[in-house]
Amino acid sequence: MRRLILFMPVLILTAAVFSSAVANEVNLGGFVQGLYGGGLDKNNPTPTELTASETRLQLKLESYSDAAEFFGRLDFTYDDYHEPSLDMELREGYTKFSLGRHLDFKIGRQIITWGTGDLIFINDMFAKDYQSFFSGRDDQYLKAPHNALRMSYYNRLGSFTFAYTPRFTPNRIPTGERLSYFSPMAGTIVGGEPYFEGIMPEAKFKNGEFAGRFGRYFGTTDVALYAYHGFFKNPMGMNDSGAYYPKLNVYGASVRFPIMGGIAWLEGGYYDSREDACGEKPAIPNSSFKSMIGFERQLGSNLTVNMQYQNDLMLDYDAYVAFMDPQMTPMDETYHLMTGRITQLLKMETITLSAFGFYSPNEEDFYGRFSVSYKYSDAVTLVAGANVFDGKYEYTAFGAFQKNDNAYIKITYGY
Amino acid sequence: MRRFQSITVLAAVMMFISVNVTAQEQAEDIMKKSHLALFYAGDDGIAEVNMNIVNSKGNQRVREFTMLRLDQEEGGKQMYYTYFKKPSDVSRLTFMVHKMPDASDNRWLYVPSVDLVKRISADDKNSSFVGSDFTYEDVSGRHWSEDNHKLVREDKMGERTVYVIESVPKSAYKGFSRKVSYIDKESYLPLKEEYFDGKNELERVFTAEKIEDIQGIMTATLRKMENVKKGQYTTVEFANITYNAGVGEDVFTERFLKNPPRQFIK
Repeated sequence: MRRLILFMPVLILTAAVFSSAVANEVNLGGFVQGLYGGGLDKNNPTPTELTASETRLQLKLESYSDAAEFFGRLDFTYDDYHEPSLDMELREGYTKFSLGRHLDFKIGRQIITWGTGDLIFINDMFAKDYQSFFSGRDDQYLKAPHNALRMSYYNRLGSFTFAYTPRFTPNRIPTGERLSYFSPMAGTIVGGEPYFEGIMPEAKFKNGEFAGRFGRYFGTTDVALYAYHGFFKNPMGMNDSGAYYPKLNVYGASVRFPIMGGIAWLEGGYYDSREDACGEKPAIPNSSFKSMIGFERQLGSNLTVNMQYQNDLMLDYDAYVAFMDPQMTPMDETYHLMTGRITQLLKMETITLSAFGFYSPNEEDFYGRFSVSYKYSDAVTLVAGANVFDGKYEYTAFGAFQKNDNAYIKITYGY
Repeated sequence: MRRFQSITVLAAVMMFISVNVTAQEQAEDIMKKSHLALFYAGDDGIAEVNMNIVNSKGNQRVREFTMLRLDQEEGGKQMYYTYFKKPSDVSRLTFMVHKMPDASDNRWLYVPSVDLVKRISADDKNSSFVGSDFTYEDVSGRHWSEDNHKLVREDKMGERTVYVIESVPKSAYKGFSRKVSYIDKESYLPLKEEYFDGKNELERVFTAEKIEDIQGIMTATLRKMENVKKGQYTTVEFANITYNAGVGEDVFTERFLKNPPRQFIK
């Protein structure tokens, strides 16, 4: 690992020098950031009371010619919230080029996003980093990078995008080290060692992830169709060795359009749980149909609000109830989730007040994200924020994290 | 006799009205020419923009971006594409507007760090453009037909002769209650605009600080918007301007929102 850490910067520099030799433009940038956060719940079973104590250096390099473009973003993080560690992650490192007039390629480590939801995802099956999301890191860390090949074809019908990730890339979820979680085995919220780890599918060609999107505009309405072949992104299945990622296909569609002075979106997706076609395997999630509707508009010159409603309908519910462990509490057939966001800009957009809330009326749990951000100058930004979880039960989506309430401060110097 | 009198009065009134209508038409014609000179120069345009936002304490913030524009109808539909370079937290971000004079604009924002294409509700054209003293409407222009215009007088500004025109919104409007424009008689560029708020107090002053001939088109290359009430101002400097560069309509699509067209954007 250490050798790799030493080797990577050399590789990046070589790539940079090589690409700058053939390119006509090179831009460098990045930031230094301190993030310090602590838990607000004394009973959290994690090893330390801190949720973050990290210094991050991001190096950004962009280099391009008329023919191709290289982009790299490399993070070095020293974090001592628990065991001091120096981590390095290549957040992005890709080459982008076109073949002919209609075909674009983006190859390498990259962030991929699609779909219409605001922080809720139905057809976006690209990896999310909930550890970062829950502990105060910047929004850009919600998405985890994929080592992928992306190809986009454009013609008069619309755009066709295909993304192939050879090695399955799961979500990064709380493991009990930084954040605690609910363990169905223990029947309670757990933290500390052994840290949770999902069992990855074997590195085989057929275990890659295949994602496709077709999009086009009809006037001002954008319509998209999606397909995905891969695995559940969270380890939602249980086998003899532990929690693993069951096979999954997703087929969906979305529309987004301006209406009533704002933007509205609708999205739906059919989750085909390939290992549990009839819903009779209690250790594997049933197939389901997920849908959402959302609306966003400005309420004043500097005030924007949005609201979303998501509905997940479990299919083969009778089979699920019939075959489940009678000791366990059954999930509801329909899961409801409501979200709201409010963003207020002040003082010529130097101050941003932001609140985002998730609330499920049937699971009776809540997750709120609150932050105040102040741009002291173009380079320096100060942020204070909090993540608040609440839940009547420990086994629900957000209730599982109810001991992880935390507050943080963050200082960023961009260059 | 009485009938004759009333006919005379009627004729006088008619003449007065028609003179007035002509004056109004002339004022509207000047405003139209001015709008076209400032916002529709050439068929398309590319410029490197340097924006300097100075608050009441004298603290400066800088925005650097490349702007592409394509006119689809003279005085009508337009497309804008903005690629941000500075400051570092917004670098590589792109922003696109399809301006619809008779409907709400369509706006898109692309955030490359999360690969997110976001559509933005564009109901309020009086929102500040990237935290500056310019509003979205100042950047892309307010259509002349939305206000009643009156030619107040001709005047001198330095060496230049200007039309002084007063504009009042036809329907109640948050942006201003009254605007006085000083329009250069030769180039039709506004050399100065004074915006009055709802209390009829001077709120903002626009000035064209520098005018240059670019490819035979007179262009305001340094513009300033001062918020008199807040004691702050923003200057915008346009450099490396190219008109009629052949920017195609396809540039203003999601494909190029995510992949900046490098032949235009360096």
